[in-house]
Amino acid sequence: MIRHLVTFSTAAALVAAAACSKPAAAPPAPAHPNLSGSWVRPLGDREVGGLPPVNEIPLTPWAAAKFKAERPAAGENQDFANTTDPSLRYADPNGYPRISLHPMRFKLIQTDDYVYQLWEYNQNWRQIALNVPPDPDPALTWYGNAVGKWEGDTLVVDSVGYKDSTWLDARGLPHTQDLHLVERIHRMGENLAFDVTFEDPGAFTKPWTAHLIFKPAPDGSMTENIYTISDELRFRERFLQQKAAIPIRR
Amino acid sequence: MRSRVICVVAGTVAALLVCTSALAHHGAASIYDLSKETTIKATVTEYVWTNPHVEIGISPNGGTTTELLLELGSPPNIRNRGWTSRSVKPGDVVTVTFHPGLRGAKIGVVMKLITADGKELRA
Repeated sequence: MIRHLVTFSTAAALVAAAACSKPAAAPPAPAHPNLSGSWVRPLGDREVGGLPPVNEIPLTPWAAAKFKAERPAAGENQDFANTTDPSLRYADPNGYPRISLHPMRFKLIQTDDYVYQLWEYNQNWRQIALNVPPDPDPALTWYGNAVGKWEGDTLVVDSVGYKDSTWLDARGLPHTQDLHLVERIHRMGENLAFDVTFEDPGAFTKPWTAHLIFKPAPDGSMTENIYTISDELRFRERFLQQKAAIPIRR
Repeated sequence: MRSRVICVVAGTVAALLVCTSALAHHGAASIYDLSKETTIKATVTEYVWTNPHVEIGISPNGGTTTELLLELGSPPNIRNRGWTSRSVKPGDVVTVTFHPGLRGAKIGVVMKLITADGKELRA
């Protein structure tokens, strides 16, 4: 027993001596800025940018006519009772980038291989695969097929493969399934900036860019906030006296 | 005079901020009169923590059935403003300020509410 204690004490002394003689190496600096955290574009905050006014977006004749025919639930031409907004009429997922314009936070999780955006609204999420080639034949999805790579301190994200049934924003801005987004994501002081370039020959006569600023949001647990077609129909039944055409959960 | 102007401007900005929260509701401008505010003391008849927006039923006459149906924001958004799923309950007497429904509809969108124990909650 005593022999074991002596051996242990000697070993501990040697370890301590080694530690004293050679300073511990500093942890390696992170290869890229850390974008992780919870982020939000607070409602009514004029600093957070957004998509430009529609008259500044170079719509093709097809897109202009489609936009004019839509009946959004917000903005100048709003008609909530008879809206054509797919996210209200069918409770469809918002799609991208519309979900990022929603005034609820998202959590960004950054790993060596992927960056994930987890939106609190409807618990939707997208993944950005890092340092891999784009999928040459992506399936059409609500949130697209995104790949990313670092250019200095900026994460450059290239995405395609978006279903054309979504709106780009709550105003009813349309796009086709050829939508191609290039996003440059970078820190701007304590905030997070997304500079988004929209390319879509069917909807836009030339590429255009939007600047979105996200501010730090309280981190921690995300709240479950799942919105279903029953929720929407029940709301309409109670507040608008609209009779639901299908059975709804109450 | 100058301080009075500042007060008016500050009040306007505050009002805009309050309106901004109300405008978070889908279709708010097409179903509520956002230029009007109504404040009443009423009894809570129901409080439903749900999507798309939390609902409060009230009875201005102290009854137990909903005579006026009010909406708040979505659960995460109003949680950030201090609301919880137990902020009020049926039977509570509250003072609530809201934009009333258009065309006499018995609905409204809440701007603020003072709970039975005096706590002010903004929507």
